[in-house]
Amino acid sequence: MDAKSSFTSKPPLGGWQPGITFTAAQIAALNAVADGLIPGGDGFPAPSTTGIVGYFAKYVTPSGTEAKWFPFFAEGEFRARLDAWAKAFVGSTSAGRVALLTALEKDEPGYFARLRDTVYLGYYSRPEVIAAINANLAAGRDYRQTPQPYGYSDNMLDWDKTLIARVQGSYLRTGDVKRVKVEDLGL
Amino acid sequence: MSSNIKTDVLVIGAGAGGAAMSKRLSDNGIKVVCLEQGPWMHQMEHAHLYDGWEMERLRAWQWAPSLRQFPEDYPVTGNAMPQMMNGVGGSTLHYAGAWPRFKPVDFRRGTEHGLEGTIDWPISYEELEQYYEINDSELGVARLTGDPSNPSAPEGWGPVCKGHKVGNKMASGFDRLGWHWWPATNAVLTRAKDKRMVCNDCGFCLGGCPRGSIGSADVTYWPKAIANGVDLRTNARVETITTKNGLATGAVYVDRITGARHEVKARIVVVAANSIGTPRLLLMSEQKGHADGLANSNGLVGTHLMFHSWAFEDYWFNEPLEGFKGPEPGVLYSQQFYDTDVSRGFVNGFSLQVGTALGAANSALGTNTGNVAPWGAGHRGFFNSHFGHHALVYVQGEDLPILSNRVTLDANEVDTSGLPAAHVHYKLHENDRRLIEFGRVRAREAAEAAGGMTDYASTGVCAVNGPGPGWHMMGTCRIGNTPEDSVCNKYHQTWDVPNLFITDASSLPTGAAVNPTSTLQAMAVRAAEYIKNRHSDILSQRTTPSNADAPEL
Repeated sequence: MDAKSSFTSKPPLGGWQPGITFTAAQIAALNAVADGLIPGGDGFPAPSTTGIVGYFAKYVTPSGTEAKWFPFFAEGEFRARLDAWAKAFVGSTSAGRVALLTALEKDEPGYFARLRDTVYLGYYSRPEVIAAINANLAAGRDYRQTPQPYGYSDNMLDWDKTLIARVQGSYLRTGDVKRVKVEDLGL
Repeated sequence: MSSNIKTDVLVIGAGAGGAAMSKRLSDNGIKVVCLEQGPWMHQMEHAHLYDGWEMERLRAWQWAPSLRQFPEDYPVTGNAMPQMMNGVGGSTLHYAGAWPRFKPVDFRRGTEHGLEGTIDWPISYEELEQYYEINDSELGVARLTGDPSNPSAPEGWGPVCKGHKVGNKMASGFDRLGWHWWPATNAVLTRAKDKRMVCNDCGFCLGGCPRGSIGSADVTYWPKAIANGVDLRTNARVETITTKNGLATGAVYVDRITGARHEVKARIVVVAANSIGTPRLLLMSEQKGHADGLANSNGLVGTHLMFHSWAFEDYWFNEPLEGFKGPEPGVLYSQQFYDTDVSRGFVNGFSLQVGTALGAANSALGTNTGNVAPWGAGHRGFFNSHFGHHALVYVQGEDLPILSNRVTLDANEVDTSGLPAAHVHYKLHENDRRLIEFGRVRAREAAEAAGGMTDYASTGVCAVNGPGPGWHMMGTCRIGNTPEDSVCNKYHQTWDVPNLFITDASSLPTGAAVNPTSTLQAMAVRAAEYIKNRHSDILSQRTTPSNADAPEL
């Protein structure tokens, strides 16, 4: 058997540490892209003010390592993208950035989806954004950055017992199971 | 190759079935060796304390081994993507502990309709009931007694998990329609037990539980099994089960760390490697006298694979529901449409199960149904109206066991030990497509009855409109009534090899319309009782007895 397994390692939990270092131009490009995807406002910060670049730095696969886990960004190729975007995005108008992102979404939907998803995952993990959710959204007053260690048992409502009291139902006993007519089902 | 390891019983696989088997046998002093190809998982390997916890669902906590690609995983090719974990605890490492039981009718679907490969179970609900109770006691379940749609069950170890806003909201919908519903039983601690902590409703159940609150096998059965003296060998990947003169004699395994091969000799072998791994191992164990794989003289090993038929239905409402809290997939269930009614155009039935929504990023990413928040100017409004306003209803249907839905070997891909990949073929039956389409409409009615719905999205029928479901792997080495309809007799002895047992979800003849772990584990407890009580009978058998001739349990 000549086949070889590629299952040889595990992705580091929390991303690669300390993460790659982007150039100033690359940082500006990535911030511009992220701000175009999630504009700040209405009490929520722009991604560029939340350290979104640092999040990407941990989840872009460093050179020399196969990019085989989500978001499948290899360092060399990702840097090249950012360098190209630096020329297009930075200094562009808001409308111009939207046009560039729209074109990317149309031309490379798979790549765009991974980029967008990573921005969403990173942005909604930042403490500044969690604080904004707490401050601005009734559904997120006590939402936390991580599920543990605190959990939410301090604010869980019990069942409405009046609803439970009205529940009706039945089940077939073993001896009551009868043959049904299946011939007309057309299966 | 070292071959100086001898034991009474060799168990292959340390997941739900293997753990229950190992512990229950060792309670009575039976010497057990268990081989597990994965490692122990440390609490800090869960993602719950990392700010990137939602990202890790796609990486280290990716459920599909073909995407996760851990060294202990093996590739699975084909047209479905089964979701499993390899390690001490098996796939219970990433399950949420939803803990329904099969219902009496589930054991008699052969009598009821017998479509495709549907057979009656060789046992009844009543015969399995006491083992459900033993197993529940081992784990510690949270239950509200009194569900009129199921046989009575004992009080739980702790009170039922709270429903919070999502539970009460959807309960009100079922209530307005006059449909059955009931708070879900979960293998989750709401009262402390052993060294495990009480659930604190953190909401990320499907990433496993660093508190030990969820009844995964690594924190329930294994500590006690090891205290009993079970020799649990991790990173031990079995490549073949050995036989001589028609009996299993043990297994050869590869130490994944050193690469060395070892042989374990045993008087009884139990395989519990899940519905993909078990047929894979049996087929890999092709040898003289077993030309088509072990226990496969009738060609049924790997067949009748079931996943449940499935649809996710996401609903958003105009009020805060805070679905990032509480038990993730097991809030409540409705079994209003569980029983067969052929006037609907199909046999079997389904559960409507209510679940929650995880965190903010998952909400932006479309929750369970790809309803992704738009980027740009519309992002903020969409996110703010969707996050924390969601309830999930998933339609979990019983899929027919079909001969051609099966697991085979694929030598084009191998694991790190050079062993062939499992290959899966699964096609949803027309009956099951109709069932889910009907269920989707009922789920929508329940959400509308709850009132205030603002948005809706669906996966459609899984395996038809998109990827198939893969988290409930069942069938493939089922127990049955004769050597012609199954791989094992009613005590899980393979028809071909009397001292070779199979006790995992592959043993299920049919899949019911509920989560399967409580049932497969109760079956493993029952099989362990048989091995304990009939040890000498089993060792004297040269052929597997028929169900009628087998000694009483």
